Amino acid sequence: MVRVGFIGLGRMGRLHLMTTRKTEGAEVVAAADTAQSCRRFAKQHNVPKVYSDYRQMLEKEKELDAVVVTVPNFLHLECVKAALESGHHVFVEKPLARNLSESTELARLSTMSGRFCMVGHCFRFVEAMEEMRKAVDSGVIGSLEAVTLEEVMNGPLAHGVIPMPVPEWWFDKDRVGGGVILDLGYHMIDLFRFFAGEANLVSCAMDYRLSLSVEDKATLVLKSLDGNVTGTIHVGWYQRTIFPDFNFRAIVHGTAKWLTSDDFTPRNLYLHAAKQVSKNMLRRMLGLKIEYLKYTYYLASYVKEIRHFYESIVMDQAPCVTAEDGVNVMRIIDHAYKMNSSSEILAAHRTVG
Amino acid sequence: MKPSPTRPVVALVRTDETKEGLRRAVREALQLVGFTPPEMVHTVAIKPNLCYYWQSTTGCTTDARVVAALIEWLREQMGSVDIKVVESDASAMRTRHSYGMLGYRKLADEYGIDLVNLSEDETTEVSVEVNGLQLQFAVPKTLQTADLVVNVPKLKLARATSITVGLKNNFGCIATSRKLPYHKHLDEAIVGISKIIRPQITIVDGTYALGRATVRLGLLLAGKDVVAVDSVASRVMGVSPRLVRSIRLAEAEGLGASRNIEVRGENIENFRRLFPVRRNNIFYRRVWDFQLRMLEAYCRFTGDILPPIIQEVSA
Repeated sequence: MVRVGFIGLGRMGRLHLMTTRKTEGAEVVAAADTAQSCRRFAKQHNVPKVYSDYRQMLEKEKELDAVVVTVPNFLHLECVKAALESGHHVFVEKPLARNLSESTELARLSTMSGRFCMVGHCFRFVEAMEEMRKAVDSGVIGSLEAVTLEEVMNGPLAHGVIPMPVPEWWFDKDRVGGGVILDLGYHMIDLFRFFAGEANLVSCAMDYRLSLSVEDKATLVLKSLDGNVTGTIHVGWYQRTIFPDFNFRAIVHGTAKWLTSDDFTPRNLYLHAAKQVSKNMLRRMLGLKIEYLKYTYYLASYVKEIRHFYESIVMDQAPCVTAEDGVNVMRIIDHAYKMNSSSEILAAHRTVG
Repeated sequence: MKPSPTRPVVALVRTDETKEGLRRAVREALQLVGFTPPEMVHTVAIKPNLCYYWQSTTGCTTDARVVAALIEWLREQMGSVDIKVVESDASAMRTRHSYGMLGYRKLADEYGIDLVNLSEDETTEVSVEVNGLQLQFAVPKTLQTADLVVNVPKLKLARATSITVGLKNNFGCIATSRKLPYHKHLDEAIVGISKIIRPQITIVDGTYALGRATVRLGLLLAGKDVVAVDSVASRVMGVSPRLVRSIRLAEAEGLGASRNIEVRGENIENFRRLFPVRRNNIFYRRVWDFQLRMLEAYCRFTGDILPPIIQEVSA
């Protein structure tokens, strides 16, 4: 049984907590959050020990095997570091940390402590991506030549169905660490690596359409280390999106054929939900195990991801995404920011009309 | 119903999004409705619609370039008056961010105007009765003391109020950031604040508008009677003004007239044809609620997870 503690119970922390409670072989032992509403949530979900300070939790809960860290970017370094130093395996939501140096430090700590540090690269676990990867590996497209990845939406600025202000740390460059490249680009860079292996940044154009202190629009060109695959990534926070809109697309081009994620994703998500709901109800009536969150399509990837983490601990095998992967993604992001450091100066000169 | 003393005039002017085009359109629209600024104006408050961090080209927020054209016209007419752009925080939106993200901070630098966050302004509590309902509002001093208030809303449809134009934009004059409690009697609240803050002129930004989808409409509407402006705007969007409760209530409260309007400039039909009309969605909220209840029942039965993003909606 993997005994799990949670640091941070925002939207992602809550989702991981609920998923963990439905996972055989994992047990939620404790949770910590500074917000009272989050601690109330933990109590409502029968978490045995609830703390307002994560340090107390790490100090008192000696029996923990793993810690799930879902806190704002600027707290990743201290929380993950504390959890690793306390001898726990760690799952941390992406990005690994705010920048390359923080990420490198966490990867070093993970290696030194002999504990796993898995990063939430959830797009790898999306069913469409897994199927596309299988198709690419099977050779159906010939040799892989190019990958195009796009994710454009409101990102952290998305308007919830219930209106809530965007947390202030998202507007603070120091605390958030970066803009759309670190937020959505992080996933897309990892997906390129998922299809084509390690990569280098060739070029990057970024923009500041919303006059924030961080970029909100970027196009990156990547090339795989073996030089065979090129990639184009476009990410943006500039598009108005209302839940459940999800503007993401992946295209792989090979010498024999091309594939797009649209071919692997349900055309109508409402119809997909109805189908999965019916299947699960039937399973329940027959006394079979149900498939959690499959009706939401994209959120099912979080179930697979966190379960993979717990399985890795049980099997004592490194998870498929480690801190090293986080560092490799951050290396490309760091390069993109350095390449565009003069763009920030240009952004200040944009005028109305 | 209090009779309108004169037949209200609403102007429809075609425009492009260039600086020169907007300047010409604003001038023409104000000329068509015969608007001249009152004498002895020291301070002007311009109220755009900055409801969220969405760019004006989504059809959701007022284009800073329309406000820029208006500022130029005001300066031409009145010389160096003190001009303030005003907006209040909303449940999800913080004015300090939307001013920067929607181009108003740059506008302020370029034109030497002030940006006021009405939620941080000095306020007085004002009570007003609408449709037999007693409502209380925190009214910002900036709006109470301005010599001229200009309403610059966006042209769009909205689920809760059918349309969001001049009257609804006044709702943003309430200083309270958490306006959700007013949503219980939203139309009454809209009319209530419109009884307290009465902009002398309304100029609607229809360069991009929002219906079933966003559309580049290239339209400016203007009028001194906000009820008349909303009525014409609703006809442009294919909605009968009779079906818009805020218009009916406002007319009953004597804020203006929704009938016998003189339309000058372009023909309504030229724009109505282009507007992506939304199908009747009277049952939208009920369908949404029904889906949520079904989903909750499904999760209870199977033990599946209701993700936090949906839990927040159903709470």
